[in-house]
Formats: sequence, C-alpha cells, structure tokens
Amino acid sequence: MEYASFLERMHTVQDTYGYIPENEIDKIAKEFNIPRAKVYGTIRFYSMFYTEPTGKYIIRVCDSLSCHINQSKEIVQIIKDYLGVEHGQTTADKKFTLEIVECLGYCGEGPVMMVNEHVYTRVSGNMVLDILKNCV
Amino acid sequence: MIKLTIDGINLEVEAGKTILEAASAAHIKIPTLCYEEGLTIYGGCRLCVVEVEGERLLQPACATEAKEGMVVKTNTPQVREVRKTLFELIVASHDISCQLNCLTCSKNGNCELREAAEIIGISEMRLLPIDKGYGEDWSSYSIVREPNKCITCGRCIRKCEETQGIGIFTMANRGPATIVTTYGDKGMGNVECTNCGQCILSCPTGALHEVYHYEKVWEVLNDPKKHVVVQTAPAVRVAISEPFGGDPGTIATGQLVSALRRLGFDRVFDTNFTADLTIVEEGTELIKRITKGGALPLLTSCSPGWIKFIEHFYPELLDNVSTCKSPQQMFGALAKSYYAEKNEISREDLVVVSVMPCTAKKFEAQRPEMAGDVDYVLTTRELAQMIKTAGIDMEKLEEGEYDQLMGTSSGAADIFGATGGVMEAALRTAYELITGQELGMLDFKEVRGLTGIKEAEIEIGDLKVKAAVAHGLGNVRHLMERIKAGEEFHFIELMACPGGCLGGGGQPSPTNQHVREKRMKGLYNIDSLKELRKSHQNPYITKVYEEYLGEPGSHKAHQLLHTEYTARGV
Amino acid sequence: MQETLFLKHRESENIKDYPFSALKKALAMEPAGVVAEIKKSGLKGRGGAGFPTGVKWELALQEEADQKYVICNGDEGEPGTFKDRYLLEGTPFKVLEGIIIAAYACGAEQGYIYIRGEYDGPIRIFKKVLESAREKGIIGPNVMGSGFSFDLYLVKGAGAYVCGDETSLINSIEGKRGKSRIKPPYPITKGLFDRPTIVNNVETLAAAAEIINQGAERYLSLGTEDSRGTKLVCLSGDVCNPGVYEVEFGQVTLQEIIYDLGKGIKNNRPLKFVVPGGISTQVLTEQEIDIPYTYEDIAEAGSGLGSGAVVVVADGHDLVDLMLNVSRFFMDETCGTCFPCREGNRQVYHMLKKVNGNLNEEKSRIIADIGKTIHLAARCGLGQTSLNFINSVLKKFENELIVRGDS
Repeated sequence: MEYASFLERMHTVQDTYGYIPENEIDKIAKEFNIPRAKVYGTIRFYSMFYTEPTGKYIIRVCDSLSCHINQSKEIVQIIKDYLGVEHGQTTADKKFTLEIVECLGYCGEGPVMMVNEHVYTRVSGNMVLDILKNCV
Repeated sequence: MIKLTIDGINLEVEAGKTILEAASAAHIKIPTLCYEEGLTIYGGCRLCVVEVEGERLLQPACATEAKEGMVVKTNTPQVREVRKTLFELIVASHDISCQLNCLTCSKNGNCELREAAEIIGISEMRLLPIDKGYGEDWSSYSIVREPNKCITCGRCIRKCEETQGIGIFTMANRGPATIVTTYGDKGMGNVECTNCGQCILSCPTGALHEVYHYEKVWEVLNDPKKHVVVQTAPAVRVAISEPFGGDPGTIATGQLVSALRRLGFDRVFDTNFTADLTIVEEGTELIKRITKGGALPLLTSCSPGWIKFIEHFYPELLDNVSTCKSPQQMFGALAKSYYAEKNEISREDLVVVSVMPCTAKKFEAQRPEMAGDVDYVLTTRELAQMIKTAGIDMEKLEEGEYDQLMGTSSGAADIFGATGGVMEAALRTAYELITGQELGMLDFKEVRGLTGIKEAEIEIGDLKVKAAVAHGLGNVRHLMERIKAGEEFHFIELMACPGGCLGGGGQPSPTNQHVREKRMKGLYNIDSLKELRKSHQNPYITKVYEEYLGEPGSHKAHQLLHTEYTARGV
Repeated sequence: MQETLFLKHRESENIKDYPFSALKKALAMEPAGVVAEIKKSGLKGRGGAGFPTGVKWELALQEEADQKYVICNGDEGEPGTFKDRYLLEGTPFKVLEGIIIAAYACGAEQGYIYIRGEYDGPIRIFKKVLESAREKGIIGPNVMGSGFSFDLYLVKGAGAYVCGDETSLINSIEGKRGKSRIKPPYPITKGLFDRPTIVNNVETLAAAAEIINQGAERYLSLGTEDSRGTKLVCLSGDVCNPGVYEVEFGQVTLQEIIYDLGKGIKNNRPLKFVVPGGISTQVLTEQEIDIPYTYEDIAEAGSGLGSGAVVVVADGHDLVDLMLNVSRFFMDETCGTCFPCREGNRQVYHMLKKVNGNLNEEKSRIIADIGKTIHLAARCGLGQTSLNFINSVLKKFENELIVRGDS
C-alpha cells in the first residue's frame, strides 16, 4: 500500500537533487524489500526521472502533431542552436537540459515549451530566446 | 473440467488451463518465445496469438484461459500472416543482419528463434535489420551479455527474480529503447549476480552465454610443454550425451573419459574424488561443531552460486558456512600440490582444467583466496562443443577409465550432482564416523527428489540430526529466512540451481523439469550400481590422508582444502 | 452554431462557493440508484474507448471485496487532447464530486487521481482542492455527514503517455513500470493492489456528477441514441480559433466544428485532412467530414471519436513528415512490452525515415501489414491503434505518396 507513494517520493528526490542518486534507489529497495534493479528499471521507465544529474533548467519543447504543424520544429532548432545541445543532453555549464517531448496538453496554444514547471504557450523564436536568456 | 474445441479437435481440460496448455494436450504446437514453463506469463512476444470465436482481435494462447465452449483456431490465414509479420519484426531487431552471426552464435543449434522460424515457415524477410548498437557486458567472470541479440522477452529477468529470488535484471526505458539491464547499467560482474547461469538456460537467443574458456584450453592442449589434467563434475556425465542426441540422464561416464583423453588431456581425473574428500572434511567439521561447539546449522559450501548468494544477502550467517572448499577447488589445490609433487611437475607447467555443469565455477576459480588452483573451467556445453570440433563421435566411443590417484570415487560422490546428494553422502559418512557402526540402509529417500525444500530428522546414535536441503536460490532464500527467524537445524545442503548441479547453468539446453528428473535418475542409478558407496571408504581418500594430508581436519588439510568468505552485501 | 454548455463553466476557486449539490443528491440515494441513474443516462467513457460508464460501475458495485478503488484518469497525453486539463483547471470541484460519486456508487473507500506530471498547474490546483475538501469533510471518514467514508490521493505522473491505459495506470500507481497488464482479469475484478477498481476519465467523472445534478433525463434529451449528452472537443492544428468546445452529439457536424466553432482554417488554406479523435484514429479527408459529430457517424466514416481531439491539418504540409511525427510518438511511447507494438512502430519509423520521397508500393504494403499485425496482436489499446493515422494517410493519399514503378 505505502509503495503507492513511489512516484511521489521519486519526484521529491528528483526535485531535490536534479536526478535520482543511487543511494536513494538503494534506500527504497531496502525499505520495500525489492531488488534494486527493479527500482532502477522503474525509474528509467519515466521520462521525468533522471539517473544522471540534469541542468538547473529542464527545457521541454513539445513537438507532437498540433505543435508540429504550428512550426515547433523551428522552435526546437532555435533552442538547439542557442544551447548547443541535442535532445536529452545537458549544457556543459549544467544550466540547461533539453528535452524534445511529446504532447504537453496545450495543443490549442502551440508551440509550447516548459521551463521546469513553467509553461509558455504560443512561443516564437524571439520569445524562446528571451525566455532562455532570462534563466539565470 | 472444461470442454473446448481447438482446430476442430474436441478437448477436455482442467479449469484454469490456458489455451497453450490445452493445445499442447491436443498435440498442437503453438510457437512461443517469451513463455517458459514455471515462470509467470509475460504475454509479450504475441507469437502464440490464435483466433478465438467471438473475439475481434487475436488472443495470446499463453495468457488466455480455456473457457467452456471456446472455439479456438490456431492455424488460420490470419494467424499465419500475423505470426509471419511478427517474426519478421522480431528478427529485424535481433542481431542477425548477416547469416554468419548465426553460425558464430552461442545458441547456434538450439536457438528458439530458429525453432519458431521453422514452425512459422518463414520464406522471406522484407524488413531491414535495425542495428541497436549496444555494447556487450563482459564485467562478469562467468557470464557474457550481448544485448544486440536480446529480444527483451524478459525470461532472464523472471528466472532470476522468480526462480532464483534475486532479481539482478530489469527492463529499463520504454519503447524500442527498452532494454534488459542491471542496476545502474553496472554489468553482471558488478552487481549481486551469483553467476548461477540460470538466465542462460532461459534465454531463447544467444544474448547470454558463459565466458568461454575453451579457446584457452585448446591452446594449452596444443602446447607440448604443458601437462594438462582435467576433472569432471558428477552432473556432467549424465548430461554430456544430450548435445549429441542422447537422452537426458544417459550415463556416459566412460565415453566422457574417452573423449577427454582423445582431446589430448594428459590425465583424466574425477571431481568425484574430491567430492568424497569434501564429505570426509565436511563430515569432520560437522561432528566437531556438534560435539565441540561451533556455528550451527552447518551450511554446505559446494555450490559457488550459493556461496556468492550468502555473501551478498546473508553475510551475517557466513560463520555457518563450512570452510571446506568445493570439490572443484579441493581438486585444484591437491592437483597443484599432491599430484604435482608426486609426479615432479612444476606448478607453471601444470594446467588444471575442470568440466562443470556450472557457470559460477568460473567465478569461483578466480576467487583471490584460491586463484591459480584451477586454471580453466569448461561448462558441459563448452566441452560438447570441443568434442564436436575435434570430430569425435561421442556416442560410439569405447568406455574409458579415469586415471588413478584422483579418479576413483564412491557412489556418494556421484549423487553430489543432485539436490540432496551432498546431504545423503554426508549422512552415510557421519553415521559411521559417529557411531562406529555400519549403516545398513544407505538410501536417505527423504532428502531426494525435486521438492524445493526437503527436511529430515536422522537418528545417529543418540543424536537427532535435523537436516534440510534447498535447491534453487528462491527456495534457499526461504530457508535462510527460517533460519534467521530462529528455526534450528544441524546441517543444511544448499544448491544455487534448481535440481542441484544437474540443473546447473552450464548444462545443455534445454534444461527443464523433465530433463532434470531424468538426469537425476541417471545419477542415482550410478550410485546404486557401485560397490563403493561411502566416501570415507574410498581407498584413494585413505591414501591421500596417509601420504599427504595427515588426518581429516589437520593443519595441512586446512591449508589446502579450506577457505574463507567475503561479506559483500548488496 | 453554438456550444451546448452542460459541463463547461468556470468555478469559483473557493470551495465554500461550490454547492456539491450532485454529491448531496447522490449520498441521499442508494449506491445502486446512483448506478442506475448513470446507466440510464447512456454516458460513455470519454477517455477514448467509449465503454458505458454505468455498466462499469454496476460491475464494480457487484464485486465483493475488502477494498475497492476508484481511479480518476488524468493522464491526458494523446496529442491534440487538452480537455481534461481544462476541467482540472476550470472545474476541479466538479471532477472531485464525480470521483466521490463514483466511489459511493461502487462502494470504494479509497481513490486516486492520477494527473500527468507535466500538468503542474492542475496538480497545484488539485492539491489545494484535496486539502480544502478534507478540511470541509467532503472527503474523509464521513463524507458530508453521510457515514460514507472515502479518501482520495493525488498521484503525479512522471512522463509516460502509456500510463493513460488503465492497466498501465494501475501499475504506475503501484510504483511499477507503466506497462499494460494482461486482460483478463480486468481492473473491475482485479485492479489496483489486486482489488476491484474502476478507472474513469476526468471528463467522464465530471459528466457523471453533472448527470446526477441535472438528472439522467436531461442528459438523455441531449445527443443521439448511441451518443448521449455532450462532448468536450479539443480543437487544434491549422484552425483559426483553437480551444475546448462543448458540443451536443448529433447537433453539429465535424465540418461545423472546424468552420463555425473553429472559424475555419488559418489563412484560408484548403483542408488536407482532419484527425477526428486524437492521433490514434484514422484521418478523414475534406469529403468525409460533413457528418454529425457522434460516435456512430465517425465510426461509420471509418475512424473514431477517441478522446475528442480534433486536429485540423491544412494543405501544404509534408505528409511523410507528419507521418514520421506521429510514428515517432508511438515508437517512443509504447511501453516496450509487447513485440508487435514495440518492433512494429520502430520498424515503421525507420522505414518512413528512409523514404526520401520514394515511398513505393512495397513499403506501403509492408507498413499496412505491420499495421494489421499490431492491430490484431498488440496487447493494449495504445498498440492496437498506433498505426491508424499512418495507414489511413497512406491509403487516402496514396496517389500523392506512392512513387510508382521500380524504385
């Protein structure tokens, strides 16, 4: 029953460290008496959990159909060029992690990007650059 | 009972049976990949899909319960078409872009993909193979993983977790990036893997195999300067026929010896000899612990998979483990001392090879406490391959005899290969050593058979010895928990693999319950046919004590035949 | 052309201003009475599968168990769908009310609301809703003094579309990988923690609350025989006025939704096709959309109403690029368990990627074959429908897409 709080606990760890360190995996494995490989594999199922440190800002840009036909591809390229990283990578200064993601649920207001938990809708190239520049 | 129709055949099956089981009863073979008897149903590969009247979509036979009045069709155009496409998809993601990959694959010959292809009748491959580009895992001394060949059926995961109670494997990621991996992608050698090799037996493809030593063995056999001796574990002799078409359980001791001699080994010895020695040493240890005090229950130490298991999971109980080396390592230690000295062979020129039903023995031979005693460990499968390579017609070979000094053994040693065998062998000796009387009935039936945990109370003189036997690490774990909870035993035999060594991770495929039963029967037959059935009565054991070791438990015996363990934790 | 406002309204943020009239009505009835009312209304699940809600509740009510669960599925993730976010943000109390009513009707004393992790706003809102509801005794040991005890927990998803599948969702709540389960057993008999569990979509539960509030008769008076009531339509893509619209089934056509409610295509471009129910449904061309917006009419047109996501695609897009986009979605989002879905979507993606304007008949046939195999053999709804978009585009625009002759 208590194991139902797994996702919540992992979110807390993720938010605290920017990733899920091994000792946290070990801890939960011991507590619930399940193989640590299983905990690890579960974490790796979910896109929002990381087993490696992420940047201070996780940039999520939607490229699913509705955003895609509203030019999210160009937004993605602008961000990639600006940050100098590809999907799933973190900038050398550990400031940004870029994720090209599937639908964020703002299909009527695309293109959409998230900076950590903050959502920006109807973004343009200039807007995203401003947003990124304002991340300090 | 449930009545249903499969392919027009009227059937009656027990309630709760699946379509797959029902079909099998009707002698209809439905292809499967992710299904394995004894493991939970995964329902992933979908090769077993069939038409069920009234259902819009195809149903997986492995996961669909037979229901009253069900009408099932396993061979319709739709089923055939879907299976073909499915198979094409599976193969396209499996590392066989070039036919040569099959020929060099560890599962060449008994790959389940090939079996499935045969059933499905594949005539064309329209899809381009997708290179997954994963690296191989060579971190373990015992087992290699080649993830490019993995079809993520999850059988290794389930085997490790469900049968063995460990769970070193997991699925990670999702979508096509889904992979089977270990904790933190650390590799099998860097996690709590016991090296038991049961995963290899479960793998339908060649994604898992042992770390091969046979190339090295060829090398030393071809080196005239080297004196190469070989030892054969008990369970090998009842399985070595299988890769040559023989029935499981066929007793092929003589052919095995002849084949090894033909391969060029300078001496062919028997691990059974040191199995007898183990009994004498371990029996002595048991008596000492019972009479003079010491950690009880005494836990056996022959199975290196079990040893690594306790080092990881129950390090607090390591004092209970017998300090006796396993028969393989006792053999190595004696070969490199007693045998070498007697025959004036220098340690550098002497090479000790063992043939084991076991992958964990490869790890054991590398343990720093005893490294160098056994140089190379071949699995039964590897030896079969060498015999094939050498063009030896195994089945037609004359029966050879083991070389002397370390070649004679009692029937008690043969049954080491079966779960309960070490216990039975020890009881035969302990009884006589303690009471000084001859044991009448030698068969301890209560510790025989494939029940997961077996218990017995044996009266030895005034002493009631409480004994238990567990095989398969899942069962072992249950028993360990009982010990931790305070249950009292005197002596416990533990084997990592289901069935004991005869079901070891180095044995030929398939190794299933049916095969295990037959191999077990073979081993008990050898024992019952032998004159000599008690370890301590082996004349060559007496000789080795007289000539070299002194008495059981002596200082020299301790130096050579005993060892210590490492608390590893998880 | 107007919306029919049954569900859509804005609530005050203060729980004190929300009357919970539906919940009060429900609590005054027998659970079986609530079930009967919902059954009578003809409400169907709004998550995509369209299973009759009343039947589900009835089955759950009949189950005997020491514990039953109700789960509100807020793991909205099918591209083009954003109605649940709309409800969670705009009418969270109604959603809450629906959950409690469902729990009461089925005899569940515990519930979960699973909201996708990316929905930070709705999660914050719902956390507050739960707090205030607990404080006010709307949930807890004695719901509104009725003696019925119910507690509700919020689970924040962690980025996996497949968790929208009910069995995957259950695994995810249990702290496991979100892979689908083998059915049967269905969640109704053996779901969360192996107990009887009903999983309902956010919109379904909100509608259920409103049905109890306004009465099944009112709901029955809306829509058609097979599509009762109203539906929230998520309009997006190349459309001037995207957004969430509530329409009465059968009273508007798909065309009207796009051209009247949505004010037509951006820059007056011609329409290429419409995705009528999210990207797991088959596309419809301009000639096929003059049909009433109902489950049955869209099914008859060879597609599905799905989650209610209408994505409008104007002429001028590279069709292969769009197929690749959808293909990538399904490839990345399959749970990875069943081979046809995992390998089929991977293979199709790789094939499309290599097309380079050279899609020939053979490739098209292979993709169709893979589609058939996935449809017939995959383990869950996500897989079974994953190639609907691609194969319908391939079929309907064959002439533009296929390079004839030897290539």
